Amino acid sequence: MLDSIPELCLDVAPADRAWLEEGAARAAREGSVAIASLLPALPRRIGRRALGSDVAAVGSARVDLRAWRACDGAARLLLRDADDAAILDLFKHGDMEERTMLLRAASTRPLSPATVSLLGEVQRSNVQPHYEALVCDNDLLARASGAVAGFGQAEASRLVLKAAFLGLPMHRMLGVERLANPELSRMLQDLATEREAAGRQVWPDTLAMMARAPVPGTAARALGDLEHGADDRRAAAIAALALLNREDLMPFLRERLPREPKPQLRAALKQQTGV
Amino acid sequence: MRIFEPHVHMFSRVTDDYERMAEAGVRAVLEPAFWLGQARTTVGTFVDYFDTLLGWERHRSEQFGVWHFCTMGLNPREANDPRVNDAVMEVLPRYLEKDSVLGVGEIGLDDQTKTEEKYYAAQVELARKHDLPILVHTPHRDKKRGFERCIDILKDLAFPMARVLLDHGNEETIKITRDLGCVSGFSIYPHTKMDCERMVKIVLEHGVENMVINSAADWGVSDPLRVPKTVALLRRANVAETTIEKLVWHNPIDFFAQSGRLKKSDLEHAPGKSVLETFEGNSVLRGQDPARFETARE
Repeated sequence: MLDSIPELCLDVAPADRAWLEEGAARAAREGSVAIASLLPALPRRIGRRALGSDVAAVGSARVDLRAWRACDGAARLLLRDADDAAILDLFKHGDMEERTMLLRAASTRPLSPATVSLLGEVQRSNVQPHYEALVCDNDLLARASGAVAGFGQAEASRLVLKAAFLGLPMHRMLGVERLANPELSRMLQDLATEREAAGRQVWPDTLAMMARAPVPGTAARALGDLEHGADDRRAAAIAALALLNREDLMPFLRERLPREPKPQLRAALKQQTGV
Repeated sequence: MRIFEPHVHMFSRVTDDYERMAEAGVRAVLEPAFWLGQARTTVGTFVDYFDTLLGWERHRSEQFGVWHFCTMGLNPREANDPRVNDAVMEVLPRYLEKDSVLGVGEIGLDDQTKTEEKYYAAQVELARKHDLPILVHTPHRDKKRGFERCIDILKDLAFPMARVLLDHGNEETIKITRDLGCVSGFSIYPHTKMDCERMVKIVLEHGVENMVINSAADWGVSDPLRVPKTVALLRRANVAETTIEKLVWHNPIDFFAQSGRLKKSDLEHAPGKSVLETFEGNSVLRGQDPARFETARE
């Protein structure tokens, strides 16, 4: 899908499709000089049609194609042979859309020092679409943590924390569960507390992330949410308690079971308590 | 009334301005690159400023439901400065390829020096090369003569007048530009340049053909609501709605659409809405709650 010009150009005018074919050849031949003038025109000429509806393997990466637009796929083609210097140069001089396309494309490139630089850029950025393009709807964080120089657990944790800060669900970072650690849980829990004090909240699945590496307070949070009035918060609490898997917490789950109105959540409670 | 504001420096405005402009009908703004109130001494500060116009400012604007476009150029005041002029000319071509860059500007004359003329002419050639219209800043001092000089240079270069917006006009300059085939811009200010009442008189006398109005608001005493305020006065003067719409919507869009990068139909909906709902069928939120998305923004 992502490597095929005909599939990327399903509803694209023949002239624009020919332009992309010629452009891809020029990009391979001439490098970043050619790409710099091709990249800005991609949304206009190739469009923003969604590319798919499920998660797919792209090389060694996994991506959620619901986040990919035709112009992102075309950018990936243009950047196929670009080296680190070209990627960083194009990012530096890119406008909003160019950066979005470049970052989404970069999430599927082999890990390199440029990956670390771009992760640093989106960590600093206040532009949420850029953060999402590189970090969400793919497994880059999980793949990169500890696998490339300069990007360890602390750096990955800060990016996960930023997702929570931006109000994004954990599940949009594929494989994020592998990044669980107590320091991250403490930071997420502090953020959740701060938000709640202000009458706001973090995404419900943040609780499960904390439960994978619990810190003092995590179990109490999950138990409290077991009685929450919102279905999604109770669902998150049940998922978190399953991860905590503590025998001493089972009485609370059993106590909730007969009063749980949602059939789906009741089934989950039954499974956990063995009733 | 939908408004395309064809000259405003949002870089120097606060979010309250965006909110009030959107409420008053401003659907899109064009932000010409200009000087920043004090001299820049290295090209790097230009590059960062240009990047802001393409990136952060655009993002900021769209958060408030206002489309953001820009023109890029070396302004006449800093064209005189050898610390930056050639270096800026070197980086400009790359920016002129960007999707939200709809023209070359503000270029033109300020003190009317030979150096200004040299960089003005060079940028007119850049516009020709990149197939873009130009937004011309005309001098605030010795305006009539400066206006004529700006036009003479364009004639010498045989640059098509239909692709020229001569800005900061007044009652005197409209007499010069009326029959040229270029677009005349009027910058409506609280105290200087042109005011709302005088603008109504100009419209009543000359009509709105090849005419646009803007606030040119920046970090000085200025008002980003001057276009909607002028619209209100035009209505009070019984100017037809279709005429007002031509002045504040069709004229500026038709002019900048000559870049090939702007389509009127793309401005039918405000930005932001598409982010919260779906974008061409692709739900950006994917199951997230739009209300939560709103509150998550900080």
